[in-house]
Amino acid sequence: MNDNIQLDLQAWLDGELPAAKGRRIDTEIAGDEEAGRLIDELRLVKDSLAGNEMGRNVPETREFYWSKIEREIQRRTQTQAQAPRRVIWPRWLAPAAGFGALACLLLLAVFPINQPGFDETSSTGEGLEAVTFHDQAAGMTVVWLTDTAPAQPAGSSDLKTPHTGNPEVEVE
Amino acid sequence: MPLPPDKSGLSDADLAQAAQKGDMGAFEELVARHRDKIYARAYSMVRNEDEALELSQEAWVKGWQRLAQFQGEAGFATWMTRIVINVCVDWLRKQKRERAESIEALNEESGGFERLLPVTMPNPAAGLERAELRRRLDRALEQLSPEHRTVLVLHEFEGLEYKEIANRMGCSIGTVMSRLYYARRRMASLLAGWKRENEE
Repeated sequence: MNDNIQLDLQAWLDGELPAAKGRRIDTEIAGDEEAGRLIDELRLVKDSLAGNEMGRNVPETREFYWSKIEREIQRRTQTQAQAPRRVIWPRWLAPAAGFGALACLLLLAVFPINQPGFDETSSTGEGLEAVTFHDQAAGMTVVWLTDTAPAQPAGSSDLKTPHTGNPEVEVE
Repeated sequence: MPLPPDKSGLSDADLAQAAQKGDMGAFEELVARHRDKIYARAYSMVRNEDEALELSQEAWVKGWQRLAQFQGEAGFATWMTRIVINVCVDWLRKQKRERAESIEALNEESGGFERLLPVTMPNPAAGLERAELRRRLDRALEQLSPEHRTVLVLHEFEGLEYKEIANRMGCSIGTVMSRLYYARRRMASLLAGWKRENEE
């Protein structure tokens, strides 16, 4: 007899088997001596226990037993009263807060507030480096030109000498 | 209306109602009435006098804190019994966590040697006075592991179904069935052994 059949026999005894399975067990017990003996054993234990629990009394006087319960109730009531009150938000606020947070994120994505006070762009050409600062608050653009080309002999070029190190200020 | 100083004539339902309104005297009367039953259930599960005392008192404290949930559908004693069972199951679970895993424990869980025992069960009650039978049953219960004993107590003494036991113990119905089966077979083996000893 395998473990599952043993457990089924017990479940049958305890009235915990579905009717169809119960009928199958009826047949099993009728044709299997070992199954019948097992059922008898389990039933004897079950019947012996029924109504035969050993009673026990509290080994303390009524007053002493109660005094400990009362003291503990008072202690917990005091602790509860002293505990800082938690702010309890209404449950409906939870989804509303979620939507709010999502809306804020979307707004931030569309209108970023994290723009710096000025923009910095840089462009380089052959022999010339230009750095442009744009201050939005002041409405001012500063272009810094730097000559990086090697020095040329005087009069060898028609090009104007760039304003090395001298910024050009353009006010918008 | 305030309750009279002598509350012994009042019903559990009246006392519970007064206790729900904060009457500690009414609750004390309920404790006095049912303390033995609650203590006995705790003892049957933990088999230790000090622990049973402490756990039963904890159950009463929890009972006071949850009085608002008592609707009176079941009797007050039944409601309190459920609380003490939960307190004891939690305690046993904590104990089990603290117990070192051992081969013996695993063996106990799976039923150990009872799985292989031949079925030779004399009637344990035959020729015994009720008091003696109770003593033997109690002694046999003592020998079971806490898990096996708890399932047996909840099923045989509290009349709980497999599903309800599984819910309370936080395990599967299969585990409940298995524990119950081996608990019964171990009981049968112990009782049969003592019976044979007496007859020799």
